[in-house]
Amino acid sequence: MSEEKGPTSAHGTAGGKKSKLNLNRLEMPKQTPEERKRNFEEVATGYTFEMAIEEAGRCIQCKKRNCRQGCPVNIDIPDFIKHLQGGDVEGASRVLKRKTSLPGICGRVCPQEMQCEKTCILNKKGAPIAIGRLERYIADWERQEGATTIPEIAPSTGKHVAVVGTGPSGLTVAADLALLGHQVTMFEALHVAGGVLMYGIPEFRLPKEIVQREVRYVKSLGVEILLDTVIGINYSLDELLNTKYHAVYLATGAGLPMFLRVPGENLNMIYSANEFLTRTNLMKAYLYPKYATPIKMGKRVAVIGGGNVAMDSARCAIRLGAQEVYVIYRRTRSEMPARLEEVENAEEEGIRFHFLCNPTSFISDGRSNVAAMELIRMELGEPDASGRRRPVSITGSEYIMEVDTVVVSLGTSPNPLIASTTPDLKTSKWGTVIVNEQGKTSKARVWAGGDIVSGGATVISAMGEGRIAAMAMHQHLAE
Amino acid sequence: MFPIVAHNELAPKVHRMSVKAPLVAQKCKPGQFVILIIDEEGERVPFTVSGWDAETGTVDFVYIEVGKTTNQLGTLKAGDHLAHFVGPLGKPSEVDHYGHVAAVASGYGVAAIVPILKGLKEKENRITTVLQAPDRERCFGQSELERVSDRLILAIGAIGENMSTSATQPVRKLLANLAQSPVDRVILMGSLCLMRVISEMTRPYDIKTMVHLTPLMVDGTGMCGACRLSVKGTNKFACVHGPEFDGHEVDGWEVLMARRCSYADESIFQQGFQCRGCSQW
Ligand SMILES: Cc1cc2nc3c(=O)[nH]c(=O)nc-3n(C[C@H](O)[C@H](O)[C@H](O)COP(=O)(O)OP(=O)(O)OC[C@H]3O[C@@H](n4cnc5c(N)ncnc54)[C@H](O)[C@@H]3O)c2cc1C
Ligand SMILES: Cc1cc2nc3c(=O)[nH]c(=O)nc-3n(C[C@H](O)[C@H](O)[C@H](O)COP(=O)(O)OP(=O)(O)OC[C@H]3O[C@@H](n4cnc5c(N)ncnc54)[C@H](O)[C@@H]3O)c2cc1C
Ligand code: FES
Repeated sequence: MSEEKGPTSAHGTAGGKKSKLNLNRLEMPKQTPEERKRNFEEVATGYTFEMAIEEAGRCIQCKKRNCRQGCPVNIDIPDFIKHLQGGDVEGASRVLKRKTSLPGICGRVCPQEMQCEKTCILNKKGAPIAIGRLERYIADWERQEGATTIPEIAPSTGKHVAVVGTGPSGLTVAADLALLGHQVTMFEALHVAGGVLMYGIPEFRLPKEIVQREVRYVKSLGVEILLDTVIGINYSLDELLNTKYHAVYLATGAGLPMFLRVPGENLNMIYSANEFLTRTNLMKAYLYPKYATPIKMGKRVAVIGGGNVAMDSARCAIRLGAQEVYVIYRRTRSEMPARLEEVENAEEEGIRFHFLCNPTSFISDGRSNVAAMELIRMELGEPDASGRRRPVSITGSEYIMEVDTVVVSLGTSPNPLIASTTPDLKTSKWGTVIVNEQGKTSKARVWAGGDIVSGGATVISAMGEGRIAAMAMHQHLAE
Repeated sequence: MFPIVAHNELAPKVHRMSVKAPLVAQKCKPGQFVILIIDEEGERVPFTVSGWDAETGTVDFVYIEVGKTTNQLGTLKAGDHLAHFVGPLGKPSEVDHYGHVAAVASGYGVAAIVPILKGLKEKENRITTVLQAPDRERCFGQSELERVSDRLILAIGAIGENMSTSATQPVRKLLANLAQSPVDRVILMGSLCLMRVISEMTRPYDIKTMVHLTPLMVDGTGMCGACRLSVKGTNKFACVHGPEFDGHEVDGWEVLMARRCSYADESIFQQGFQCRGCSQW
């Protein structure tokens, strides 16, 4: 591979080492903020072939391979990049597929800056290889050019497995076990498979067609998906275990929204992020009236919270026609759990951030619609258990902010439905299911993983936990 | 896909639909509801079950045409299919032996309360039922209610009258007569305003009064919080902790009614839409 240096490529200067490092990390083309504020199409349009080759060319194929360690599922990153350097996208895809079945999704939504790109040796120079963008490129290439190759499926073992929940964790387990010859049935409470990938993360960040393609792939392996079926209602966990299923994987996520518990929080036009995003993304309220579900939007919108969910809500609000959107976060910018890239995107789209303040009550317009909120200013005190400095309110600093729509985005916890109908399933005080390193729960023949165990993490960790549990389940089934 | 096996008009704009959904029929209990979606562009819309048959695998509900989805349902025929049908959702109604139970039903509640009253009857309660309808023409379901009640009182009000007055009159009489005929429990299924008014009437007598609340819902499984309401100072989700609640413990009626009408302004001008704080009569 000939080393291509862009005109602006920087040269290492430190220590007199003559370095050919190309520190020109290649941006992905994006819709302009003005344009994208008005549509739900994907913000970043992805690398072209030439761009992918150029970015891959920056990888020095170092011996350390720290990036691989930084990846929760240990994708052989340098190997797929090497294929790309030689222009062999198909080969790169094969390497990827060895460790992830959802590259088109992970390439888009993984927090690479905290994982593989963080540990990339070029990150020391502030210009890690754009691993996520390359992963996305490969997945998109395969989607457009390649015929999805279905790996060989092992002969049937005659064993039945139930997977509850069709988010990334459930899909991973279903695919892995189906490939090993087990008969897998998935149960999904909603009318669409995909979990948060469908109902939470917006189209402009993760096109739903990509998610549905992965769902179709899992089906093509012989997995049966039963929609509109709630475990804990239509079948209890024990009923599954007492019928044909030899093992069960629970991947029902963390769908229960948390609220602030301050006065006025139930006023009309105060949404949980889950409702707001479900209406918008799953039910496609942005295409109302073609899609029947409406969403009511005001002009001045406050989104409470600082995570990815808050960014998604704020960016949906602006696209749905809000004039002003504020993100209200009780700590500062540097403590925000949201991905930096999404914060920057949000800022470009005109979303305004109010740090170090927290709502203390919501005020009615006299007809039970929210008209304003009272906020209190905060300052950062001593570090708390999470190591982040704890926000403390400043007495007497209350002030009023006029808003007509509020989206509460404080996080979620697992839905208690299954735990409450399964007395011998051990859960923590946060409602998460307790498992060992293999994902095995306290209940015989039941494994669990993803957000129902972590309480809310990432797509890739949900997938990684699924992979580990699938191996353990396979071992159990083989016995 | 869920086939519609029967579809009948009971009164103008009121229909009973019977859907083949064996998985739902197997587990149904009185007072629970289903959520259906007509087609892939459709909204998730909740309806209380008014009957089911685990053997034939059918589930019935009665609906009133008030807006987009219910109007579209009105155009479907037996043999057509619904894209999605999930349930039974929510907690079943409490059914036990109480003694004398007074029930008030209006709108779709006239049909949806029947399974609850049947359950109460099996527990050997004496049941006095008030059926409210805006006019004779829209008075339906009388014979079913008669079958499960010891006494049925009709409260028919003319269009344009303050709806809630009609059912409140017989209830007032029952309350005035408590010394001779004590009422041990009241159960209400109708519009939010009717349930609120009657809850307030029974409060001074300390008669346990159950209401069936219908806030807007999206998922119906406890995931979105759209259906939240304040009960004794804490937040409850109507789709999992309800829809049946103790009417005396509900402390957010105003907000509940406002939230229920979030989307009403678009449909409020439609013919047949009767808003007295909510869309149902
Ligand atoms: C708005 C938003 C943005 C996010 N952004 C990112 C991001 O950028 N990057 C990232 O890595 N992560 C992100 N996350 C987190 C990530 O999406 C989750 O960690 C991941 O989806 C968890 O996967 P899961 O398979 O455990 O569960 P989920 O994806 O939650 O899927 C669970 C599924 O189970 C179903 N279910 C629940 N209960 C039952 C039941 N009783 N019976 C049957 N089915 C049931 C649910 O309907 C759902 O479909 C985001 C999350 C949200 C909400
Ligand atoms: C637990 C529960 C049980 C119900 N049982 C029945 C029943 O057995 N029969 C029946 O006719 N109706 C029932 N409803 C109300 C029914 O869901 C609404 O009438 C229906 O959603 C209206 O939809 P639409 O598209 O036709 O009207 P829209 O045009 O959407 O709205 C018309 C009116 O209906 C109300 N409404 C809209 N969507 C909802 C919703 N998701 N939940 C509650 N109200 C809504 C609006 O506030 C508005 O006032 C029930 C509601 C709940 C929450
Ligand atoms: S309808 Fe979503 S939580 Fe009840």
